[in-house]
Amino acid sequence: MTTDDFKGIKARLGDISRRDFMRYCSIMAGALGLSTGLAPRIAQAIADPKRRPPVIWLHGQECTGCTETLLRPSHPSLDSLILDIISLDYHETLCAGAGQQAEASLAQSMRENAGKYVLIIEGAIPVKDNGIYCKIGGKTFLSLVEEVAAQAGAIIAIGSCAAWGGIPSAHPNPTGATSAPEVLKGKTVVTLPGCPPNPYNLLSTVVHVLSFGKLPKLDSLGRPTFAYGRLIHENCERRPHFDAGRFAEKFGDEGHRLGYCLYKLGCKGPVTHANCPEIQFNDLGGGTWPVGTGHPCFGCAEKGVGFTIPMFTQVEVLSPTPFARQAPIIPERPVPVSPITAALAGGALGLAIGASAVALRKLKDSPDDPDHPVKED
Amino acid sequence: MAKRITIDPITRIEGHLRIDCEIEGGKVTNAWSSGQMWRGIELILQGRDPREAWIFAQRICGV
Ligand code: SF4
Repeated sequence: MTTDDFKGIKARLGDISRRDFMRYCSIMAGALGLSTGLAPRIAQAIADPKRRPPVIWLHGQECTGCTETLLRPSHPSLDSLILDIISLDYHETLCAGAGQQAEASLAQSMRENAGKYVLIIEGAIPVKDNGIYCKIGGKTFLSLVEEVAAQAGAIIAIGSCAAWGGIPSAHPNPTGATSAPEVLKGKTVVTLPGCPPNPYNLLSTVVHVLSFGKLPKLDSLGRPTFAYGRLIHENCERRPHFDAGRFAEKFGDEGHRLGYCLYKLGCKGPVTHANCPEIQFNDLGGGTWPVGTGHPCFGCAEKGVGFTIPMFTQVEVLSPTPFARQAPIIPERPVPVSPITAALAGGALGLAIGASAVALRKLKDSPDDPDHPVKED
Repeated sequence: MAKRITIDPITRIEGHLRIDCEIEGGKVTNAWSSGQMWRGIELILQGRDPREAWIFAQRICGV
């Protein structure tokens, strides 16, 4: 990319150096599972504003969390980058006009860009009772999706609701909430599940299309394999604890505080495909994803898991690795052989530990810490 | 004769809102607001483990 090309980007993206921008493109190439040698091509695609694809974003049964995740990254320029590389022609949360004006801009974009626009669907599509549970401008969302999809160049279902049904489709599914791929059978629908989905997966998908003129490789459920090719459990930072048999048994216990594996608290990482542990959320650095904060993954991205299997129910591990044995949280001490000496020695040991703990506390002259009681056993 | 104006969708908000107004002599004489989307989260929550109610209730609105 020439310095002149970069000047154009700088004017649009604000305070970003050429070096940072190129690094960003290399990271993106890596995230897409491509050689970093392709970074210049990605940079070129982002820099060329002639190729901005028109995007129509429809909202169905959703909470707008998918849109929020796109607008709230703290890293400079993700939102500007997205909004810069696409031409967002219709989006109810971000539209300047309302009512008829908004509907007119939708109709205009569809007319002018027939066959070329990208349709992004956020939210599930209720089909029960002829779709009356979601209406926009007097039309059912079901009819709107079918109408807009008919002329779309590409269709992306963002978030779990659009990708597989999500929350509204949870039992007893009162409105017949249905996913975009099910409603648009026979069409290719890229699905980016997650509740919320990671905005980088949308950005990477769009950048892939811009750079290479085609969709990234998808699995049988329409998920880009660069983002959903692996289980969370395969890349989890707590995996060494799982393999060593070190588990948090209860919220707030010693194992939980020490950052042990959350499997026994119901973690769904072993059955959920997503790249959360690798790219995390909000650009806030290490640990900004559910398991990183100490909460088990509840499988939001996976159909049949999130909002379906109860949160604290343990799942079967799809990819177990053998571990030698389950290591206890408090290392065991050698135990004397005879039961009588064992009882005596245990008592003496207990006294000794108790005494040294008291001495230690006196020495430090610190108040007792209720969160870290001294073990006296 | 009252004139009726309908604004649907109301934009720049979360959700699907529709406003209907009746106007007579340049003044709004009556108005209705209606949510145009329903998921039935009240029904979905019934019978679940209360400890996981938050993952549903939290997602009523993501803004
Ligand atoms: S069970 Fe959950 S916390 Fe444990 S290693 Fe797997 S994904 Fe990580």
